[in-house]
Amino acid sequence: MIEAIEPLMTALQNETASSPAITEGAAAALSVGIAAFAAGYAERGIGSAAMGAIAEDESLFVNGLILTVLPETLVILALVVVFAA
Amino acid sequence: MSTAGGSNPEYVIARVRARRSALFGDEEYRKLVRMGPAEIARFMEESEYETEINALGSRFSGVDLIEYALNANMAKQFNDILDWAGGRLYDLIARYLRKFDAWNVKTVLRGIYAGSSREEVKSDLIRAGEFDDRLIERLLDATEIEEVVEILSGTMFGDGLEAAFEDYEEAGVLVPLENAVDRAFYEQLLENLVVGEEAEQYREFLEAEIDFRNARNALRIARSGADLDPADYFIEGGTLFRASEITALATSTSELVSKISDSQYGDRLSGAISDLEAADSLISFERALDSALLEYADTLGYVFPLSVTPVISYILAKEREVDNIRAIARGREAGLGPDEIEEELVIQ
Repeated sequence: MIEAIEPLMTALQNETASSPAITEGAAAALSVGIAAFAAGYAERGIGSAAMGAIAEDESLFVNGLILTVLPETLVILALVVVFAA
Repeated sequence: MSTAGGSNPEYVIARVRARRSALFGDEEYRKLVRMGPAEIARFMEESEYETEINALGSRFSGVDLIEYALNANMAKQFNDILDWAGGRLYDLIARYLRKFDAWNVKTVLRGIYAGSSREEVKSDLIRAGEFDDRLIERLLDATEIEEVVEILSGTMFGDGLEAAFEDYEEAGVLVPLENAVDRAFYEQLLENLVVGEEAEQYREFLEAEIDFRNARNALRIARSGADLDPADYFIEGGTLFRASEITALATSTSELVSKISDSQYGDRLSGAISDLEAADSLISFERALDSALLEYADTLGYVFPLSVTPVISYILAKEREVDNIRAIARGREAGLGPDEIEEELVIQ
């Protein structure tokens, strides 16, 4: 059984070595994309809580806004990867 | 807690917490106990109660104005919460708010029993529950207890009330009916809770509430010396007492007290229990139960910030505030001094 697969495995190895399934640019793009997705998910809860607080007390607008966009730092940090790649 | 990936609990709880922190604190109460009814009304006009005081100000005055404004505001606040909430959170809050349906039903029953006028009963209702205005009007129009039982036959109180009505006809006292209402409320509260750590904590809180209620009822009966069987008042669902033992416990206060202090609530209530043993005062013990329950709900709210518990703790705190302001207004009207009134308040 193993002998039968062996040529296939070496063939696969050779291929990945020559051209990776995901190129550097694509990997960087992916990391930014996933980070943005995570930031959006985090902002969802914070945003709705901030809206609730602002509805009760309008002076909380600035605080709410700041807290809501804080997870954006995730995306900015992920952008670093793009330049490193 | 979220349903369908929504973020409704975050919104509701942020708003509720903001309202919670806007409730009167130590300082406001210290001012309030030194005011007369008119001053209290004016003080309330500058707070959360502004709309209600202004709306009712032309029709009522003095303590009545304060009382109506308190009830109206409480109902409005709780309806607001229901407006904001959705999904499972809505369901749990609505279930808890049926407490006011139970309260309204009991008030109507008592009103009919005591022969109070329609207006008197109406002013005591708190329209924060699930019953719509039409149903409440029909309840108010009822002149016989049997009529009330009939009107409620489609609601969650229906079955229990029908069964209890026979007992009422035999004995001629309201106890079985009131008890049926309480039971129906607490049963639907514990029904179909989703399994999970969060629901487990919520259940614990509800059980504590039932335990405290049972303890209070038993103590009151023991103290009053009336010839009543505490088992008739017993509400199922708690963990501390069983229906069979409560009759024996209620005959001796000391046994009841030692049972409570040995329970899981012992630490929380230790101060109040020693008060009860020393001063012989039921009032301070009941206050202690109230504030222990409030504290418990608060703690749960911090452990599970996105569950229903912060909302429940707000509902409890708001009720306490309304009770406190009413006590102050009534106390000042009756000429009690600030210190005497302060003892009556549940301040956290």
